[in-house]
Amino acid sequence: MNALLIAHNTFREATRDRVVAGMVAAGLALLGVTLVVSPLALGEGSRLLVDLGLTGISVLGLLVVLLTGTSLVAKEVERRTIYNLLSRPIQRPAYLVGKWAGLSAALWAVAVVLGLALWGLVALRGHGAAGPAVLQAVYLAGLELTVVTALAVMFSAISTPVLSALYTLGFFLAGQWSYDLRTFAAKFPPELGAMVSAVAHLVPNLPLFNMRTLAAAGETTTPLHLALATLYAAVYVGCALGLAAAAFESKDFK
Amino acid sequence: MNRPSPAGWRRRAAAAWAVALAFGAAAFALAEVSWRALPHPRPLEELSYYPSGRSLRPATLGHAATAADLAWLRAVQYYGGHRATDNRFERMEHVFDILTTLDPGFRPAYVFGSFALAQEGRDFPAAERLMRKGLAANPASGELAFQLGFLYYVRPGGRDLAQAARWFEQASRQADAPPQSARFAAFARQNGGELLGAYELWGEVERNSPNRLLRELAARERERIREALRSGRHERAMSRLSTPAVLLKAD
Repeated sequence: MNALLIAHNTFREATRDRVVAGMVAAGLALLGVTLVVSPLALGEGSRLLVDLGLTGISVLGLLVVLLTGTSLVAKEVERRTIYNLLSRPIQRPAYLVGKWAGLSAALWAVAVVLGLALWGLVALRGHGAAGPAVLQAVYLAGLELTVVTALAVMFSAISTPVLSALYTLGFFLAGQWSYDLRTFAAKFPPELGAMVSAVAHLVPNLPLFNMRTLAAAGETTTPLHLALATLYAAVYVGCALGLAAAAFESKDFK
Repeated sequence: MNRPSPAGWRRRAAAAWAVALAFGAAAFALAEVSWRALPHPRPLEELSYYPSGRSLRPATLGHAATAADLAWLRAVQYYGGHRATDNRFERMEHVFDILTTLDPGFRPAYVFGSFALAQEGRDFPAAERLMRKGLAANPASGELAFQLGFLYYVRPGGRDLAQAARWFEQASRQADAPPQSARFAAFARQNGGELLGAYELWGEVERNSPNRLLRELAARERERIREALRSGRHERAMSRLSTPAVLLKAD
């Protein structure tokens, strides 16, 4: 219940924040620009629209996480508002879960608004059949942002906003390269390969949430992919928030 | 501050650690399951969909050389993967074109890409284009000039000794030229050396190239020539230098 209240407040705070509103505006502007330049794509305008639109959701969402999520906890510590909160009967893990859930909900709202706008534009261009693929891709992008938000909350609970942003960005980049890391691991000597392979397993496997290439071709993915991605996001978020809670429990606020 | 006792927060911290470890282990296992169960892009294949290095360059935000390094890693992997499996290298020219456009001074990429295209991909025109692109971007490079001469000297489907001699000579005039440039220019001019000349050129590569894959390629070529010399059937190895690629594949 406490977590829900904190999530509600965090969501309200995030959606009132200029950063989120700015990102929605930037996303819509990007879609508009893509429409304008699509005639230059030699018949591939819809592909360009879907591809850039989905990339926009992912990149703009990441920016929101970096600008807002990485200071979620640190900001409250700095403003000392956390003292008021934690002096009430609120479990620290519930506080963190609430923070993560609130920002994730705000990011889902951004993804849904931009995704629906993208779907509408694609339909207007006469490619309404690509709708399911676009929606699946938006769903996976939302899951990706949920995972990155959990990392941001984790780092925010243990570090300063700037360092949290750097760590989150580092994990995001390493996560995007996780499949490459696995392939490279197979080419390395066994010991080094095992180490690289372990790193590839530990960083978030973000390519799992990427079906932009498929969606750009109007193709949907399999239910197995969606199920695995959902399950993976859930357990990765659980792990990140568990680590955040462990660190946060040991923190002494004086 | 809602922190009843040290024992209480220690217990909760331990519980949080246990949750984190359990979820972490599940995430680790799921990452493996999804890697095995779902189709995933093979490195570099998505790279081949990029329109060209020229349009990719601005997207690197001033880090074109770094992007070229990453593309290089993937290119080597692409070559190694196809060399070990189907021996098909259809996208290799595009891949090397991207990375040399991102970083026109990336000389090892021209050398490796050209020899891989010519000897393994059986696409000499593509190899020639790549090496000439390298020389256009690095006109004072004796190393690239030498390698282009080498490429003509061992061209599958027919050696071009006149071109080989021209580029060996050009190489010999540059400061960074390999010391054997002038000797090979003479070899090519005299139309001599034949198999032994090629054997020696590949030997230089096998001994001196820092690129393991290129050294392996050179070793295979030398083995073919040795085999031809041993069996007395020079035409078998010469055919690599003088017969159409189609026949070479059948060989």
